[in-house]
This record gives sequence, C-alpha cells and structure tokens, in this order.
Amino acid sequence: VATTINERLAQTFVDLADTLVANFDLMEFLHTLTEQCVQLLDADAAGLLLADGRGALRLVAASTDKVQVIELFQLQSDEGPCPDCYRTGQIVRIGDLRSAEAISRWPGFAAAAAETGFGGVHAIPMRLREQIIGTLNLFHPVGAGPDPMTARVARSLVDVATIGLLQELALRHQEILTEQLQTALNSRVIIEQAKGILAERYGLDPEQAFTVLRNYARNHNHPLTQLARDVITGTVRITIVHGDGTASPAG
Amino acid sequence: VSVTVMSGPGVHDPVSASDALAARLEELQLTLGEGPCVEAFAFDSPMLIPDLETTVARWSGFVPAAVSAGARAMFALPLHSGAIRLGVLALYRVLPGSLAPEELADVLVFADLALQLLLDAPSGLTGQPGYHPMDGVSTGRVQVYQASGMISVQLAVSIDEAFVCLRANAFAAGRPLGEVAHDVVARRLRFTRDPGKG
Repeated sequence: VATTINERLAQTFVDLADTLVANFDLMEFLHTLTEQCVQLLDADAAGLLLADGRGALRLVAASTDKVQVIELFQLQSDEGPCPDCYRTGQIVRIGDLRSAEAISRWPGFAAAAAETGFGGVHAIPMRLREQIIGTLNLFHPVGAGPDPMTARVARSLVDVATIGLLQELALRHQEILTEQLQTALNSRVIIEQAKGILAERYGLDPEQAFTVLRNYARNHNHPLTQLARDVITGTVRITIVHGDGTASPAG
Repeated sequence: VSVTVMSGPGVHDPVSASDALAARLEELQLTLGEGPCVEAFAFDSPMLIPDLETTVARWSGFVPAAVSAGARAMFALPLHSGAIRLGVLALYRVLPGSLAPEELADVLVFADLALQLLLDAPSGLTGQPGYHPMDGVSTGRVQVYQASGMISVQLAVSIDEAFVCLRANAFAAGRPLGEVAHDVVARRLRFTRDPGKG
C-alpha cells in the first residue's frame, strides 16, 4: 500500500524527534536526516555540508560514502553547485550534470560528476537568520529533481537540521554558533578515526565500519560520538556476530 | 591578545605563556579546577567569552580573580583532531569584546599549527629540513582520519601516534598526506613495526 507523502513526512519527524530527546547525538541525528531525505524525497543520495570557522565547507554527514567523492571534489576545487549555493545563499538546481549548461558552468566538476553516476543535484542553503551556515545537497537521477511540493519538504528538513545543530531555538550569540559548529566538525573526525580502527580490525570498508558502529550505538543505546571515542581509546570493544552465529574475535 | 598553550589530559602542563597575565590566568584555572580552558578541554568545544563578567555564575571562583588580574574577555580553543586531544590554546583581552570573524579564523589556524607542532615535536619531525607543520592539516579529507585509525590497529599504537606516523611517512616520501592516506584506506600501504626500534 502506497503511503502518502504526508504520512511519510509525519513518520520522518517522529523519527527525528526520537533522536532529539534522550542521549542526543548530533552525528546520529544528521545521518538519520540525510537518510530520511533520500527516502522521503526520492533522492539517490544526500550530503550535508557545514562551514567551518575559516569559511570553508566540510562534509559532515552523507547517506552513502559515494557522496564523499563528489562533495570532496567540490570542496577541494571550490567549484560546483554546492559551493555556489553556499556563496549565494540561493537554491542551485541542475537537472542533468552532463548537460552543456553544467559543463560550461563547472567544467571540472561536471567531468568528475560523470564518473560518480549521479544524474542531477539540488542544493539547498542552510540559513540561520542572515547567515548561511552550510548546504544540504540532494543527488537524483537525470531530470528527476524534486517537484515544488517535494522541494518545500526538503526546505523544512533543512530547517530541522539547523535546529538540531543548534540544540537551542533561541540563538543568543555568534560565539555559541561557532562553538557548536567546531564541535560538530570535530565529532565527524572522531567517527572517521573510529571507522578506520574497525575497518582495519575486521577487514571492512569504511562504509561497512560505519554501519557496525552505528548499529552498536543503537542496540546499546550509546551516543554515536561517545561510542566512537570509546572505540578509539579501547574502552569499548565491538564484536561482530556473523550470520552463522560465530563471533569475530575482538581485535 | 596573548597566547597560552597547555597540554595533557588531567595534567595541565604549561607549555608556553606570552606574558605574566596569561601565565596567571592559567595558574588560576589549574588551582581552581574551573574556567574556559578547563571546559574547552573537557567538552571538546571552543569557549568564546567576549565578556568574562557575564559568566560569574558559571565560574564563581575563576571569574572574579581573572577580572581583578586584568582580563575581561577570554577565548579558549581545544587543540584537537577528532579523538586526539593535546591541550588548549587560550587568548585574553583586557577589554570586553568579541573576536571579529577574520580574527577567529586566524586563531583557528594558530590552534591547528600549535596542535601539529605539539604532535610532531616528540618524533623529531619538526627538526627535519623542509618540515612544514601545516602540511596536510585541515584538508577535510576523511581518508586521513580513517587511515590514522587503521594505522593505530596495524602498529598497536594510540591514534595520536598513528597520525604522526602517517604524517612522517608522507613527509619522508615527499607525497601529499591525502594521497598516502588514500593508499592506506585502499589497503595498498600497510604500516609495520620497524624491528630495529623499540
């Protein structure tokens, strides 16, 4: 039975609200949000970029590691729809990354995008009052960008991300924003370091390592960032249970 | 504006203070066990306090002492890269006021620089000709962090040491850090213990 977009939207906000109450973990929240964007908005993938204190964009959460390739290209070359979206504060939509328009606007990016298999992109600025603090980027098949209704839903999800990021509705100071952004960016680094440890220990790729980390966090009601830190310090040992019931030796 | 660097979890070992007031502010926090640096380190978050007097309730011991010593604003930045945490870079002002965005950007770069120098110094890397502490810093390349985690398992060392090993390898090979990290994540490069050492 096909559910209406309203029902799916309601479920999304319930899921997100769940992550907001107890044991709030920003990384878990933002990853959930990118995954919900994919499901709800019929996108292939979603990535969330935040500006660091130096004014440079950094990738903070993505629905799949495939997004990293294309986002990193944009961040390193400072060319592409996401940097444009951040700079102008306007939505940037491009239906076909292989089109003449895309190629003339972002020659290097268009070539790199052709290799990743994503068709088009819809980049939405994350706005806080007058300031642009990041962008949410939806990747979709060629010509299948969000319709006006879906685009509105996408904008509300971006606002939800901003709220989750700030954790308090009334932002008092620029200082608090800077503190929160820096902490979020460092949490991301902690998670990557822990992914490396699990990948090496169990012969996984980084994406599989993240799934292991995240499932453990959920099953043990352990905040994701704290768990990553505990894996790095050796305080927590994650044991992988295979389908046949045998367990991988821890380390 | 002046600079103070502390290092060590729990052990606040002053590394450098640019003047007497900076040293005094650090000593106060060490004695009282509270203040912007203590919290920046504990919570892994910058503490940007444009007016110290608004935070008396938060640090009732430290703030009055710091203000009477002559400080009115403090900015404490953790020296961290993920789970690597080495200390805090602290600045004070004798008048209240926020850091301008470009000042803040500079301070964040200085914090990165201090982190790299503190990390690299024990290995002797900093004394090598051609050494540049900012090589590969803040590249935003996730492979650098993933590779650090992988190397820490390969060598059975802490994440701090693993990161230094990765940087030392890139430096010795004259290759960009991100490229070496990519090889590690793609399992084209493994780190092994040098049998001649330790």
